[in-house]
Amino acid sequence: MKILKIPKQNLDLFVSVLPAFGDVYAPVRRGTGYAFDRPSLWSDVHMDYPRTILPPKKFMLPPREATFSFDPVKGFQDKLADAAKPTVLFGVHAYDIYGLNILDRVFAQGPYKDPYYIARRQATAIIGVDFQPDKNHFARSMSADWVDTGFDLFLSDIGDSYLILVGTSRGDDIVLLSGCLTEKPTEVDIAEYKRRANERREAYQTRIELEELPEILEMEYYNKVWEEMGARCLSCGSCSMVCPTCYCFDVTDEVNLGTRAGTRIRQWDSCLFKTHALVAGGENFRAARASRVKFRFYHKQRGFVAEYGRPSCIGCGRCIEVCPAKIDIVSVIESIRGERHEHASSASPSA
Amino acid sequence: MSEPKTVLVIDDDHDFVAAIEALLTSSGYRVATASNGREGLQEAKKIQPDLILLDVMMTERTEGFFTLQEVRRIPSLSRIPVIVISSIYTDQPVFRVSPEAGWLPADLFLPKPVEPVRLLEEARRLMGESSQTAAAGRKP
Repeated sequence: MKILKIPKQNLDLFVSVLPAFGDVYAPVRRGTGYAFDRPSLWSDVHMDYPRTILPPKKFMLPPREATFSFDPVKGFQDKLADAAKPTVLFGVHAYDIYGLNILDRVFAQGPYKDPYYIARRQATAIIGVDFQPDKNHFARSMSADWVDTGFDLFLSDIGDSYLILVGTSRGDDIVLLSGCLTEKPTEVDIAEYKRRANERREAYQTRIELEELPEILEMEYYNKVWEEMGARCLSCGSCSMVCPTCYCFDVTDEVNLGTRAGTRIRQWDSCLFKTHALVAGGENFRAARASRVKFRFYHKQRGFVAEYGRPSCIGCGRCIEVCPAKIDIVSVIESIRGERHEHASSASPSA
Repeated sequence: MSEPKTVLVIDDDHDFVAAIEALLTSSGYRVATASNGREGLQEAKKIQPDLILLDVMMTERTEGFFTLQEVRRIPSLSRIPVIVISSIYTDQPVFRVSPEAGWLPADLFLPKPVEPVRLLEEARRLMGESSQTAAAGRKP
């Protein structure tokens, strides 16, 4: 892997070449949070943001997309060309890149390959940047606090400069196009990179113990925690919407007047929604909220382990931040493990 | 006689803008100005110019690059020809913005100081005019 560095004072120039590789999206202010959006000035870009409201999955699996249209005269016309629009995501944290790598396993590497997802992933350059964990990050526990694949470039703060890991040939092209803005790192730079990486690892305030968790979940299927969660959960689905690895979607046909032509629409769904397991005939396999909350935890922490060898949770902390009922995954897992501590960010579960 | 074409000049250097405005006006063009990228975009949406002359280093030194990206993204503006006129070429020699910079989504890059005759020629060319057409609109 090629390793370079760029002085921070030249990062604005470096970002200026990115439009050559696609529409640039970077973390910018959105209300009280941050979102990947198009900056209108370099000063709009926040390199030290804690997390964005929505993860970058919105670029690979849009909240709502037309996959194809159908018409008795024109036949089926797919929308793959729309999906393959060159895009650059600048400033993506390691756990979010890890989240995309997990989605890759479902949509790009599994038995059912999704051409729309694959087209977007291939058309999107990812430029990562490191971050300082806050009280809701537990990416270290989920082994998602660093990545060695899934990005074109990765920037790590080493003081006056960023160290750049070049992950792909497209990343190399970006570096080459930016002229002589980058330089070779020195031994001092590498030492500083390692010192800061160690410091970041130590900075995590929130941890989850994963050992034997799938087995413990198996044993605790009827634990009263799930009923308590069901009583608190509002079934709003916010946790799934902001989750980098929740990928449930619904497919509907929007038919034009005359009912002969129309568009097939795919849009995000959530297993927290009451209609998620509703089937023809009115049967609902998860009509109770408690069963839906439990299903989501079990799929992320147990089902995914059985299928892909690791939990799909990457410890970004978004679900903790967004839950209106203050349901906190860290506290839930601690309760299930029988080691309930008060998590720094959580409200009292009895509240 | 057809309406004079409109050129929008986006630059924070007032002396430069005044000089360019005089040059273009005397050549029969209507000129609008803006002193930063955001104002420039608003003005462009409002007047739909036939050509945009865009500086790079304004309030921020890469401002013009971001403005250009927006011009290319906004459907009503995306086809308007843009000439980037900037001294970033000489100010940032390590950065690959040469007059041939193929990555810049501009129709043309001209380093400052700009040669007036060349600028007029290129402006006419990008607005699809012959020298005669532009001369016909010239003020007496």
